[in-house]
Amino acid sequence: MNLPALEKRVVVCVGTGGVGKTTVAAAIALDAARSGRRAAVVTIDPARRLADALGVDALGNRPEALSKERLAALGVPESGSLSALMLDMKSTFDDLVTRFAEDPAARQRVLDNPIYRHVSDALAGSSEYAAMEKVYELAQSADFDTLVVDTPPSQHALDFLDAPERMIEFLDSRLVQLFIHPAMAAGRAGFRFFQWGARRALALIERVTGVGFLQDLSEFLMAFEHMSEGFRERAREVPALLLGPESAFVLVTSPETESVKQAHRFLERLEAKQVPVAGIVANRVRLWPGAAPGAEPEVPQSSEARPGDLAALASALAEASGPDYPAERAARAAVDAAARYAAVVQRDARALGVFRERSAFLRIVPELAGDVHDLEGLLLVAEALKQDSTAKRQDGGSEVDGDAQRGDKERESASA
Amino acid sequence: MTQPAPLLGRRLVIVTGKGGTGKTSVAAALALGAAERGRRVLVAAVDPDARLRQLLGGSPAPLAYEPHRVRDGLWVSHIEPFAALGEYLGLQLGSRRVVDPVLRQKAFRQFLLATPGWRELITLGKVWHLEQMLESGRPRFDLIVVDAPATGHGLTFLDVPRVVASAVRAGPLHAHTEAVEELIEDPERTLLLPVALAEELPVRETAELVERVRENLAVALDRVVINAVHAPPYPADLDDLDTRLAALDDATPLGELPPPRALATCGATLHARARLNGRYVKELGSTTGLPTPTLPYVQEGLSGPEGLARLADALLAAEGSA
Repeated sequence: MNLPALEKRVVVCVGTGGVGKTTVAAAIALDAARSGRRAAVVTIDPARRLADALGVDALGNRPEALSKERLAALGVPESGSLSALMLDMKSTFDDLVTRFAEDPAARQRVLDNPIYRHVSDALAGSSEYAAMEKVYELAQSADFDTLVVDTPPSQHALDFLDAPERMIEFLDSRLVQLFIHPAMAAGRAGFRFFQWGARRALALIERVTGVGFLQDLSEFLMAFEHMSEGFRERAREVPALLLGPESAFVLVTSPETESVKQAHRFLERLEAKQVPVAGIVANRVRLWPGAAPGAEPEVPQSSEARPGDLAALASALAEASGPDYPAERAARAAVDAAARYAAVVQRDARALGVFRERSAFLRIVPELAGDVHDLEGLLLVAEALKQDSTAKRQDGGSEVDGDAQRGDKERESASA
Repeated sequence: MTQPAPLLGRRLVIVTGKGGTGKTSVAAALALGAAERGRRVLVAAVDPDARLRQLLGGSPAPLAYEPHRVRDGLWVSHIEPFAALGEYLGLQLGSRRVVDPVLRQKAFRQFLLATPGWRELITLGKVWHLEQMLESGRPRFDLIVVDAPATGHGLTFLDVPRVVASAVRAGPLHAHTEAVEELIEDPERTLLLPVALAEELPVRETAELVERVRENLAVALDRVVINAVHAPPYPADLDDLDTRLAALDDATPLGELPPPRALATCGATLHARARLNGRYVKELGSTTGLPTPTLPYVQEGLSGPEGLARLADALLAAEGSA
């Protein structure tokens, strides 16, 4: 069963930092490619080796396609493709200025302005804005069927939705208007109507910053103002695309308690905004060998285990390893390690319990032995995204170890 | 690699790290350990995260702007930019009578919300102000631990005084900004303390952070703390226990215990994590050339001062009894 998100034109992966959003985004794109779609993943800051695997290392701001041969080996049919793009904020902004500027002189004025040069990567919400801008641009082209976006890690992870509007609000604010149209503000007609409060605010800024700064700022804003029609249009169209029927949001979380709490708050905010959430992905969940996700294994510490059980394990170890092996100590160590792991599995299961009533949308990606840094690792994640975490519970029960599970997955993917 | 100077000799320790690395826990642990060693410590948080107060043993209330005492020698404060701006402008103009009405204006607040840089600047300015504070002739706080924004923003954060000092060429703000820059760049007083996890992405990002700090910032950086490092599952002489368990007959009756292969898988999984951690600890040490003190993964999670005290001891182990 697929996440419903995979049928959409734009899939936006959201979540707090450090939860593996990039990996999940890339896996969703790979999955779309395997179902014959032309997919692109837009990432912000991929891990080096994943970037290498995707071929986005040191790439310019354009999507780069993976070779057909490599994709064919992963089960991507002839009609499917996978491209990746690493977002370069600065050049996305420069592109934007170039596109919206009235003429080359206006463009150069903005690009050369000291304030633009300092702030274009610190501007409020600029990384969010740039990401959305790029997605919009790619969505306009006919080159891709599915775009998967890895959003910037952000404390206030919905910032990117508001980013275009915040930019417009900024340009429209009375203070900025005062910078842009000082003549009008000071002129007879405007003077009476002008909010003297804004003038007081300006006076205050000038007291601490001096005059030169205000001049630079005024020039910067004036140059920007000429482009504001373009921005204004975008500010309407970007949310329309992302919140519309062609898009879906996927919430990515780790099983750590704090991350789940944040994800849950995040989910509530998305739903309050009526943003369609197509799935919740719990990444790197520790699972008990052979048991279904959600199982809460009980393993006692060796000090609390039944002596007979410990003795049985010790004698099996002694039999296999000879009389010199410290079998009794080893049996205790084996049980303590299992208890330690069981406690982690239990904690993950309980932390994710809050999502259980939404389990139709919940996908569990088990923690893999190493980091996901190649396409094969990505394939395992993509496969896990297809598993319905609730359906699996009924047929669970037979004890298989991790290797056997992985074997099953490989067979599944080979036959898919 | 030389032993870095003691953490507790600094006036200001700025803790930064990628989201999810446990930056706040490390900041809290450092503050708790320092307070237990007799220092008067303030944790200055950039976010009003209620968890910080709870970690330190207080009630889980959001942080307030004014330093709030959570235990002997330990205060917490949220440096809220608008509050700090009001305080600063009030001090500049000699009165808040003019300032407060302006700060309440919707237009002015909107303008500020969209204006880059000032939040970082006023936050650092307030930190400087706290560092300068005296009480009966000695500093009010011996140590200020700043729980800084996540890495990407963390660097912009420290770079802002320099950018502003060059963009604002004169006036009182220029002079004040220079004083803040001086504090940040004084290796005797200030240390940047990055927190990483022993995993690929955080290690790479931390290495890049170190490189960028060395290239662009003059802030002292003498170690990287690696948090949540997993210990191997077994004592060293039983290292291959998981493979021995895997070789046993899985039908061996063990009563209430999991069968041998499940025991083996648990061990192998913990092994893999510990090995991966070990590899990345080494990698970060060699790419940065810095000491990489590690903190143990706290199994039961961190919810209060008890778990935190373990981290504090690990963090300050090298400080001796100074």
